[in-house]
Amino acid sequence: MTASRLWVVLVAVLLAACVMALMAGAVSIPPAEVWGALIRGDGDPTTLAIVRVVRLPRVVLGALVGAALGVSGAVLQGALRNALAEPYLLGVSGGAAVGAVLAVAGGVVAPALIALSAFGGALLAVGAVLTLAHAAGERGDARVLLMAGVVVGAFANAAIMVVMATASPDTTRNALWWMMGSVAAAGWRDVILLGSVLTLVGGALLHRARQLDVLALGGESAESLGVDVARSGTVFFVLASLLAAATVAAAGLVGFVGLMVPHFARALTGGRHRVVLVAAALVGAALVVGADVVARTSRAPAELPLGAVTALVGVPFFLWRLRRVL
Amino acid sequence: MSAFLLSVGWRSVLASLALAGVVVACAKTERPRVPAADRDDYDTPIVVAAPAERIVSLNPTSTEILFALGAGSRLVGRSRWDNWPAAARAVPDVGDAMRPSVEQILAVRPTLVVLYASGDNRDAAAALQAAGIRVVALKIDRIADFTRGVLMLGRLSGTDIAARIIVDSVGRSLARVRDAMRNTQRPTVFIHVWDNPLMAIGGGSFLSELVEIAGAKNVYADLSDPSAQVSFEDLLRRAPDAILAGPDAAARLSAEPRWRALGAVRNGKLLTYDTSLVARPSVRLGEAARSLAALFHPERAIP
Repeated sequence: MTASRLWVVLVAVLLAACVMALMAGAVSIPPAEVWGALIRGDGDPTTLAIVRVVRLPRVVLGALVGAALGVSGAVLQGALRNALAEPYLLGVSGGAAVGAVLAVAGGVVAPALIALSAFGGALLAVGAVLTLAHAAGERGDARVLLMAGVVVGAFANAAIMVVMATASPDTTRNALWWMMGSVAAAGWRDVILLGSVLTLVGGALLHRARQLDVLALGGESAESLGVDVARSGTVFFVLASLLAAATVAAAGLVGFVGLMVPHFARALTGGRHRVVLVAAALVGAALVVGADVVARTSRAPAELPLGAVTALVGVPFFLWRLRRVL
Repeated sequence: MSAFLLSVGWRSVLASLALAGVVVACAKTERPRVPAADRDDYDTPIVVAAPAERIVSLNPTSTEILFALGAGSRLVGRSRWDNWPAAARAVPDVGDAMRPSVEQILAVRPTLVVLYASGDNRDAAAALQAAGIRVVALKIDRIADFTRGVLMLGRLSGTDIAARIIVDSVGRSLARVRDAMRNTQRPTVFIHVWDNPLMAIGGGSFLSELVEIAGAKNVYADLSDPSAQVSFEDLLRRAPDAILAGPDAAARLSAEPRWRALGAVRNGKLLTYDTSLVARPSVRLGEAARSLAALFHPERAIP
């Protein structure tokens, strides 16, 4: 496939997923009416509200979450030169979950405050991972960083279990729901916040994409090309974690996207990171928007947790992909 | 490698939790509730014996009922969630209501333990029975469950007469409200439980019944669970005339832009109800119905 054809296909797939997500939902509305409500703003007030207040921000937020997780994963896999690296493995998810669970258990109910607490928890965990890695090993050693991430994640897991075991059933349910990820409560405020983070951090990452290509060559080659491996590795790690933490604050834990999407992006585009990052954003966005359609239609009027759907769809797909590579 | 294994562990924990949620949800909708007067909600037969003198009640509803029956002085233990009536706080706290500490319960030497009939309390029930203690598991969701629970606890604690008086008086005060609201316009109502995930009171809850008695219609009465997760889209489509929420939730919802997409919120029909009065089925069911009727139909007088 030529490069331009590839982009046309990727954008078309994302657009198709978005259109499908706008058309489908717990309530079935004829496509013509959805279109009318979306573009011209006419139709009965209920249809207008469903399309413009519920579905549109939800689809946009889903796309942003997928794009951010895809980019975050692609950056980490490139910078750490490890195909298993993903934002959640490096303490982000554990830290965010501890933050959110503590907030919920402490009686916080305002979604914005829970999100803030999750974001704070994620940054704290990332800080702990970096400190631990620096204390334990050589600067910028990817394996040490991964190890530190796993250890911090395990600690966070244990902390969550302790809090949950002593919490009331209501708290447990809310915290669990949060941990399973959802864009059901998406509003424009979430869209604007995550959109800004993605624009800023994504821009910074694209700007430095050449360095990622160099890092991917390995430590010595990179040093010989004049790149401070440890320093730029840390910068990439922090930027990618920031992206992931912002998605967690907006939508809870949406598993597997950060691990799986970069593999597809690389397979589709080849190795250059500037291209891989954009492809990862598009693939991630389409994947999460598609998964969210399943999440809200398969058991309507109730919903499935988005994080569970991405993992249930993603794992078999990933295994199939792995078989072809090996 | 170990990193990979651990990450798989974390992921599968989440996935299995999600699956468990789905399984529980499916199991719940299939549960047929045929209240039998002589069996508890684990389907264990109730055998009438000498009235229990030392009772542990691990459920706010049953604790409240026992006090109303005049058997409060025989309570030797309660769960940490049972804080009503005020006298209940003086009863020793033996810990959690779900997966309770069997040891702590045994330490207060009860002859009867009243448990909440959830799946994860079965182990505790079996352990207590093995220790020779009578166990009754109750799940009180609907008004009929309440009536049955009161009569059952009355029999077990030797307060049959009080039990019949309570059932009779609650039944009559509910009937009075129902009669007064008989020929009113019935607004449709969404009864809010939680915002994220969005949860509604379904037809399986006493609260749904109370709303119907009070001259309104639960917009999710078709869901058989006491409470169920619903999607915001579906709520918009059902377009309830009013929304019933606790004071904290009402303040939160009225500030959220997307809730303003609901006509009920824009028209000032976000109604605040007294959560402490309507929190659970109790001897104050009649009073609760009356307060709801006053919210839906302020113009109507109830004799």
